[in-house]
Amino acid sequence: MTEADKTARPTPSAAQIRKVAEGEDSAPLPSHLGQTTIGEGVVTKVAGLAAREVPGVHELGSGAARAVGSVTQRVGLGDAFNQGVSVESGEKEAAVDLTLVIDYGESIPRIADAVRSQVIKRVEGITGLTVIAVNITVNDLYFPGDDEPGDAPRVA
Amino acid sequence: MTTNPVTRPGWREVSGDSDPDLPVSGRVALARLAGRAIALTDGVTATAGPAGRWLTVGPQHEIPGVLAVEDGHGYVDIELHLVVRWPPQMPLEQLGEQVRTRLRRSAATARLGERLGAVSVAFEDVLTETGST
Repeated sequence: MTEADKTARPTPSAAQIRKVAEGEDSAPLPSHLGQTTIGEGVVTKVAGLAAREVPGVHELGSGAARAVGSVTQRVGLGDAFNQGVSVESGEKEAAVDLTLVIDYGESIPRIADAVRSQVIKRVEGITGLTVIAVNITVNDLYFPGDDEPGDAPRVA
Repeated sequence: MTTNPVTRPGWREVSGDSDPDLPVSGRVALARLAGRAIALTDGVTATAGPAGRWLTVGPQHEIPGVLAVEDGHGYVDIELHLVVRWPPQMPLEQLGEQVRTRLRRSAATARLGERLGAVSVAFEDVLTETGST
């Protein structure tokens, strides 16, 4: 590499590189040292996983979405953690829409509040984005035994 | 890691690898160091992407999740494509910084520090116990 080549592009100063190399993480990194990007799929998945961490949340997604999702997951095209989650994210902010199935007997407002708090905590803590909205739709209740096949007919 | 004398401009032998006698370009050597930096960082793994587009091909093996590009000014820019394990133990910005710092340190040790340009980190997916996308 010639001297002319070296001066053709702004280079990190030796002091800056030394600071990085010595692990002085608090030193602000000049932008030409490289940037960090977080894919929208990552934000979506973090939001979905965070919502699932709340007790009382049975599943995410509408009935149709779950049916289609189970097929696409089987052929390796879908991801269960993105089901029922929609995220719009910019450079600094994100808005999250969630569709939930809640266990029967739980308080819907309490679960919704808990989900909202958990999603904000996780997304902001992990991605550094500010969550400006978490919109929640509860579209179904789960009753224990709903998944069991072969229910006896109620009438003869 | 020790380095042998440069065999020709821009080429350097890197020891401690599976093929220590094979001379590789600075670009591939930096890509290997990047691959090792990812492997040594807890909580992240490299991903070559769904179609294997984030990959550097070395003389004997591939380095997934690393794109090393000569910028035309003598520097090698590195792109790191990462998957984070759930739940992450720290903010992603900080995790990315750990990998970047580790790479810069090892590049400096291998006397390749002055060739290393921008190191960009992209988080592409989240890995859970049941798997990622």
